[in-house]
Amino acid sequence: MMNIQTLLENNREISDWRLSQEATQSYELFFVHRQLETVRATDTLDTRVTVYVDHDGARGDSSFSVSPAMAERDVEEKIVSAVRRARLVSNPPYTLPESGALEAQLPTNMKDMDMKTLGRQIAEAVFAADTEEGASINACEIFLYRDTARVLNSRGIDKSQVTHRVMIEAIPTFTDDKQSVELYEDYRFTVFEPEKITAEIARKMAEVRDRVRAVKPKTPLKTRVLLRPHEISELIDTLAWSLNYATVYSHANPFKIGDDLQKDGNGDKMTLTMKAVVEGSEQSAFFDGDGTALKNTCLVDGGVVKNYYGASRFGQYLKVEQPSGDMNCASLLPGTLAQKDMKNAPCLECASLSGLQVDLYNDYIGGEIRLAYYFDGEKTYPVTGITMSGKLSDALRGMRLSSETTVQGAYEGPALMMIPEINVL
Amino acid sequence: MPFSAYLESKRADCAALVQALGQHFPYVSILGTDVRATTIRADKRTSAVQEGSGECGFVVKMNDGRAFFEYSLDDISGDKQALAKTILEAVKTDPALESSMIAPGPIGDDPMEKDFVRETDFAGYSDEELLGVCKELVEELSRKDERVLNALCILQPFVVSKIFVTKNRQLTQHYGWANGHLIVMYGGEKLVQARRTEGSDKLSEIIEKLKAGVDPVIDLAEHLTHATPIEPGVYDVITDASITGLIAHEAFGHGVEMDQFVKDRAMAKHCMGQYVASPIANMHDGAAATHSVASYFFDDDGVLAHDTQIIQNGILRSGLSDLASAAQLGTAPTGNGRRDSYKRKAYARMTNTFFEPGTDKLEDMIASVRHGYMLFETNNGMEDPKNWQIQCTAEYGNRGRQADRPLRVPRGDERLCAGPAQIHLHGFGPWQGDRLRHVRQGV
Repeated sequence: MMNIQTLLENNREISDWRLSQEATQSYELFFVHRQLETVRATDTLDTRVTVYVDHDGARGDSSFSVSPAMAERDVEEKIVSAVRRARLVSNPPYTLPESGALEAQLPTNMKDMDMKTLGRQIAEAVFAADTEEGASINACEIFLYRDTARVLNSRGIDKSQVTHRVMIEAIPTFTDDKQSVELYEDYRFTVFEPEKITAEIARKMAEVRDRVRAVKPKTPLKTRVLLRPHEISELIDTLAWSLNYATVYSHANPFKIGDDLQKDGNGDKMTLTMKAVVEGSEQSAFFDGDGTALKNTCLVDGGVVKNYYGASRFGQYLKVEQPSGDMNCASLLPGTLAQKDMKNAPCLECASLSGLQVDLYNDYIGGEIRLAYYFDGEKTYPVTGITMSGKLSDALRGMRLSSETTVQGAYEGPALMMIPEINVL
Repeated sequence: MPFSAYLESKRADCAALVQALGQHFPYVSILGTDVRATTIRADKRTSAVQEGSGECGFVVKMNDGRAFFEYSLDDISGDKQALAKTILEAVKTDPALESSMIAPGPIGDDPMEKDFVRETDFAGYSDEELLGVCKELVEELSRKDERVLNALCILQPFVVSKIFVTKNRQLTQHYGWANGHLIVMYGGEKLVQARRTEGSDKLSEIIEKLKAGVDPVIDLAEHLTHATPIEPGVYDVITDASITGLIAHEAFGHGVEMDQFVKDRAMAKHCMGQYVASPIANMHDGAAATHSVASYFFDDDGVLAHDTQIIQNGILRSGLSDLASAAQLGTAPTGNGRRDSYKRKAYARMTNTFFEPGTDKLEDMIASVRHGYMLFETNNGMEDPKNWQIQCTAEYGNRGRQADRPLRVPRGDERLCAGPAQIHLHGFGPWQGDRLRHVRQGV
């Protein structure tokens, strides 16, 4: 690390530089049914160097990777090559974030735990949910990570952050005398609570049992649809992407500051904030890839676009005084309707989709539904083999948000979103 | 551009580490990767020339007759006995898990020493020239129509060097591929994005095709501004190569990954030898099956590239396997062991997956559709091999009604529809095979 820094500082053609490192140690267990198929461990260090060269009133930059095995002579050659490439590039000038030191650790209770013991405990917590006849977990992959991210630059930034995170991919399966069906579970956490893991897998096991008896409802039908956190998160991610400085600068944004996304709507007004840290989210961070300290930023307030967010360079291009930094966590304020009240009129609650499709340019929201619960006004029953398709603008205008909240991945907010009448085939 | 000098310098280290770990495991392999990517891009206001997302490192794979063990690391220099000790400690398991490991069959390690090379024309282009091409194309796109808000051209050549070493085997491979993209943001009745992507191991071909793609991509953007949504429903569709390839990929690519057979996650496992498609359907997968983006010489398990016929005349014939799934199933691996990078596990995954040509003509297909769509360009798909359903997304299409006016191809119909058009195929299996007997394939 210090050698690279010295090499960069010794090159007089370089106006500025940035050095990013990501050290990863992992321990991974792969189960086929309940048998251990593969055990993996990794110990790697990614180093990425960016050189900035000011020339002819413009700023050029070029990045390259450095392998820990690389000789100093090779790094020197890469620096020379990057300087030459940066001179080919003439971008509008911008500055790097300055003067900041930080050594941070995201909250976790796994810091001092032995990865091998923890891996076994997580596996036990997963398989503890496999208790019902006919049910099984046909595959389970457990990934334990310790990531250390560090950013230094020529302007005095030196920040590092340690994240302990776990990802579980499990395949709950249910088999009866007629068929065998499965669902996909992706569960991530930063705080180890075995009972929560077992409860989450058990919830999915119950749903996969329902998938066996799920039927295709009479279609076409038009109904209210309830989305769960995973799908709400995908919708929010897409909206947030469109309000990133880089998206706006490249003219790819369909919405701009002042636009009312819910104009003439009669649903809950949306208030969306990008956050540096969301408790329990592995996507939390104190600084971005440039070392910019992250600043929580409200993008949409009461349905109206108020701000953009993103990396310093593109923020400067848009004349933002204090760019927010690029962050991943999105927080949506809750609504006023309780989940149980959302479900007391006919509705389709999506439990598993192949992937929510949101197309901002074509005003579309939809997707294939693998499992949902349909309440027809009298009773609730599991359904499958259907597709929903509707206008995104209608969904936003009429959406209702639950008063209960949750955290899932990089999303914090209502546990259910209800969107008005949508076509189901 | 020769094979990686760095990996060549580590050949002896690989052999020495295999020997050191061989004292503990009957099977040991090492895969070393050095993938160098370059990104050259320009839009109306910015540009970039830099290294893309490559990789450089090693993954050690071991088997002791029970589970597989893997260790990913950046460097294998230095004392091999000490490194072997580090690796053994890192992949240890908690004693409680020792008793519940798989018991695969023997792992093959046939002797072979070979160096494979496929040349590219990348060395014939300087950074300056490629950036010049990008800028020129962006300028041309911008000049064509004032409604072009932004135009983007990206060239992404990458060069792969890999070394694979076991007790009996030393293989190296060196090849390249490049992708080129044209993207326009276009304002009109509404903001739209139109794009064109080309791939080849010859930059000269990509540049030529991108240049020829300027007018079509502007034309597409203009049409998309007044495209109308598809009315949700059930229709006959004709799919272009992008969507057809996606259907092959999701349905009988992911659908026949044999690591899913091991886990009882694929219905295809129970359908071998049965009709799963129209009798005119013949489908292949393989790095050696054709020359395209996934054409390599050996996979990340050191298995030579194959041409696997998955479907023959509508009958499901074969799945796709990596070393671990083949060892558990007692079959020969098909050369489909693929890793995201040296940091990731190898899975059985597709390479080049495609249908053989048929005999039907496009105009006959169009004439056969009474009320339906011709769909173009995918950007997303999702498989569900257990329940045999797939989701495919088409970005746009043409609609037609025979009684009214036939589908028009190529696009240009003012009734262009905007996507994403969701295609959902549910429950296509041997018991519902007649649904697919109507499938036609273009010449």
